[in-house]
Amino acid sequence: MARAQREPGTARTRPRRVAVWGEQHAWGFIASLRRLTGRPLSTLLTVTVMGFALALPLTFALLLGNLQRLGSALGQTQAISVFMQTDGHASDAKALADKLRGRDEVDAVDVRTPKQGMAELATMQGFSDALKSLDYNPLPYVVVIRPVAHIDAGQAAKLIAWLRTQPGVDQVQDDGAWRQRLDALLAVGTRAVLLLAVLLAIAALLVVGNSVRLDIQGRSDEIAVLRLVGASPAFVRRPYVYAGLWYGLAGGVVATLLTLLLEWALAAPVARLAASYGGRLDFGGLPWGLLALVPVLAAALGWLGARLVCARQLRRPG
Amino acid sequence: MIRFDQVSKRYPTGQEALSGLSFHVEPGEMVFVTGHSGAGKSTLLKLLAMIERPTRGSVTVDGRNLATARASAIPRLRRKLGMVFQDHRLLMDRTVFANVELPLVIAGIAPAERARRVRAALEKVGLLAYEKQAPALLSTGEQQRVGIARAIVAKPPLIIADEPTGNLDPRLAAEIMGLFDQFQKIGTTVLVASHDLMLIKRTRKRVLVLDHGRLVDDVPATEVMA
Repeated sequence: MARAQREPGTARTRPRRVAVWGEQHAWGFIASLRRLTGRPLSTLLTVTVMGFALALPLTFALLLGNLQRLGSALGQTQAISVFMQTDGHASDAKALADKLRGRDEVDAVDVRTPKQGMAELATMQGFSDALKSLDYNPLPYVVVIRPVAHIDAGQAAKLIAWLRTQPGVDQVQDDGAWRQRLDALLAVGTRAVLLLAVLLAIAALLVVGNSVRLDIQGRSDEIAVLRLVGASPAFVRRPYVYAGLWYGLAGGVVATLLTLLLEWALAAPVARLAASYGGRLDFGGLPWGLLALVPVLAAALGWLGARLVCARQLRRPG
Repeated sequence: MIRFDQVSKRYPTGQEALSGLSFHVEPGEMVFVTGHSGAGKSTLLKLLAMIERPTRGSVTVDGRNLATARASAIPRLRRKLGMVFQDHRLLMDRTVFANVELPLVIAGIAPAERARRVRAALEKVGLLAYEKQAPALLSTGEQQRVGIARAIVAKPPLIIADEPTGNLDPRLAAEIMGLFDQFQKIGTTVLVASHDLMLIKRTRKRVLVLDHGRLVDDVPATEVMA
């Protein structure tokens, strides 16, 4: 069709092109909000399902983070206690301590005499009367070893095996074994949380995609009208892509709020539990940066879900 | 303005809707396409609207062969075409103003110019007072006039209408035809598909008669008897 002389308001200067882009996005933006608010129950359901799906991995991450903190806090007392034979001599314990100080995996060594052990026991409730009835000190010399930080399970096992072969050693007790087991469990848990997060992100993507698909199917007449009056594929698609973005953003906000609610609900009981063991452990929340990022990532997820569905559902050019 | 050259259209079902159709419409001409149900009127309009492509032959509008237009060019070509439908096809959750404004938003017209043109189009169809109303609150005839305002607001050189008076009483049908007549007088080419012979006779415009997808008669305006 012949190019006619431009009419008022149609000049396509660069600022006008930018303005047209903005106006058409505003049209899609408003149309998407109108659609979501026009079906409040359906929108609320989609957002809630998405919010719960995203809150689940966040909750696990929160619990894992706190288990890690607990492990780290208790891990500072990690030690290997070597009990010498009761009839042994102080020289055996001191010789062992000297050998240990030369090893790379050992950070500190302390030799505790039977007298020191007895004094420690005497401070413990319920033991003082029993100890008074003893006419001799039955406790052995104890060599307390603090391994270097981040000693791995293999190194610790080798050290313990070596200790058991040393002269005068009766028993070796590894106080840090539980920590290594916990670390292994936490590693499994972290991997499980990552997998769960990926699976639930895909689920959220499908939830948004399905909502947008139903919306497109319910508005086939409107889409036909838009196409017939000359709307470009991008113009037709935009309200649905914005809708996906809103679903994701709102779902992300719900997930963040649910996680914060959980943090708040668990903080006091955990503090009470810690206090009952005579310690102090503050329930640590997820980093604020991560919580702020969740709605942004969820919005991106919603956008992607809507974009994929639009690419399939709006492919027909007619 | 419009040239059909040996156009045939066969649907995937095997139905041959148009067969070797050839005709020519001059710029600024108003033409009726008539024929009984299944004659091929709607298919002819679908080819002009680029909803369908011909199986054979060429459909040329203003020198551009629509049969070979790329899919990406279709939206731009449709913006130069005003379409009026029997069922109006209005967006019921928007106001009358927003419905008429839609082609201008799509064409990227500036907001002030949009408002001016929408009001001018609504004034032309006698609905300026209804600009803030929802289309559902209007009568069928008024809804059809909103559809016409939407078709003319971007000042397209060609308007095609599919049974635009199908649901209207004779008085309203005559009113609508009066509007098309006005558009023709300002140089717009108008092609109307209708099976209402009384209306066609009263309007006294050129008539293309289709039967089983073939052009069986081409009656000049001067020979249409009231």
